[in-house]
Amino acid sequence: MPPLDYAPLSKAVIDGDVEESARLARAWVAAGGDPLQAVEQGFSEGIRRVGELWEEGEYFLPELVQGADAMKAALEALRPWLGARSNAGHGRGCVVIGTVEGDLHDIGKSLVATMLSAYGFEVHDLGSDVSVARFVEEARRHAADIVAASALLTTTMVIQRELAAAIQAAGLPRSPRILIGGAPTTVAWAEEIGALHAENAMRAVAVAEGALR
Amino acid sequence: MTDLLERLRRGPCLLLDGGFGSELIARGLEAGASPDRWTLERPADVLGVHRAYVEAGSEAIHANTFGANRARLERHGLAGRIEEINHAAVRLAREAGAPYVFADIGPSGEHLPPVGRANLDEWRGAFEEQGRILADTGVDAFHVETMTDLREGLTALESLRRAAPKIPVLVSLTFERKKRGFFTLMGDPLLGSLTRLRDAGAAAVGANCTLASGDMRDLAREALASTDALLAFQPNAGTPVLAGGRTTYAQSPGEFAEDLAPLAITPRVAALGGCCGTDPRFIRALRARMSRPAAVPA
Repeated sequence: MPPLDYAPLSKAVIDGDVEESARLARAWVAAGGDPLQAVEQGFSEGIRRVGELWEEGEYFLPELVQGADAMKAALEALRPWLGARSNAGHGRGCVVIGTVEGDLHDIGKSLVATMLSAYGFEVHDLGSDVSVARFVEEARRHAADIVAASALLTTTMVIQRELAAAIQAAGLPRSPRILIGGAPTTVAWAEEIGALHAENAMRAVAVAEGALR
Repeated sequence: MTDLLERLRRGPCLLLDGGFGSELIARGLEAGASPDRWTLERPADVLGVHRAYVEAGSEAIHANTFGANRARLERHGLAGRIEEINHAAVRLAREAGAPYVFADIGPSGEHLPPVGRANLDEWRGAFEEQGRILADTGVDAFHVETMTDLREGLTALESLRRAAPKIPVLVSLTFERKKRGFFTLMGDPLLGSLTRLRDAGAAAVGANCTLASGDMRDLAREALASTDALLAFQPNAGTPVLAGGRTTYAQSPGEFAEDLAPLAITPRVAALGGCCGTDPRFIRALRARMSRPAAVPA
């Protein structure tokens, strides 16, 4: 067993070092370390810190994306072992995500997708300008636990209501929860249409985890 | 008419126009539809927005060219009409009769890695092409706006200057208010960024979008204290909210004018206007609070 030093794992994610994260992950299991603990006490700590630094205004979009990429690289490297051990890492639930029809804004939605994926959710990113019908179809195909929809315009935000109604009416296998976000959206709007709300990518992770607990 | 650079340098503060996309939406532009298509298919509405601003007191208006670069037009299947769109947009702005017409230069729509997949050459190509197309339209300036990455602002500035060396370029970045001050989405700090743009040859530098007038006034104070560049500011009308199926903005024209009016008489504030959610009422309110050129004692 290697000494249980999780700090380098966290640091690789905080530094956004994709290669180092993957290398440390492989070295960890090669030395007989527990892959699940590497994720939970090492890499996850790193991404949590990255999220904090972002919320504090110390980190900006590039550092956040880079940190999430490093986290994903570690999870990817550990996937064969994690799969053998348990579902952890990719057993947190399945999310189908996109920006609603008529709306081309991509950054916020991609960030939520990246962070959810960094936290071990199985994420299917449909991109921007996604029709309600396509959301429903993809949610059915992947047996989604969560359908996440972003809207950056007040004119496209109303489509979130249509989407929520369509998802609820579709009788999908896992009765997915609906998670919405985007600059003009509010908690009150989410409640009105029967959805969950997250104001940023870090909150989206917490809300998604809470919804599936 | 005074030469634009002279006017920016000596004042009085130039009154710009306000939100454009939000005005087209009010005239029926559908969500996600291309404002550039309206230059070709609904020219009377585009002209109507320009005229409303000129009547409200705008001295410099922005042609409807914000999204008229190849990368963005491609998304709407309009790339083949890039020249036609840019030329027609400037003609419509001219027709409205403002003393100055600025070509509006928006972001390419794609970011550099790790956030996106763009590269500097693609950016250069897009801005140089749009600059060349606009070079002989008689625009008084290029206004690069809503840049969330200093590198893209600098690339646009350099590319436009290469494409049309005689046309002045103003550059406005979009800042967010963070605990430690004002930063772009990519983390470029207000102070260093404005100086970099000035040093790279921008005729004026500043900020537009995202911030409401109160935050923009604070940003302007920081900018004034730290750079000797000529400055331009265009805040939003607060945050958009959906109430009873209609989009409204949190701020009133009166509040907006109240926050900005003191800047209008501050040396080195060369231009003021509005961004998303501001309409001709905001410009009229600001006009009323600003001393008119004619009223300035000789």
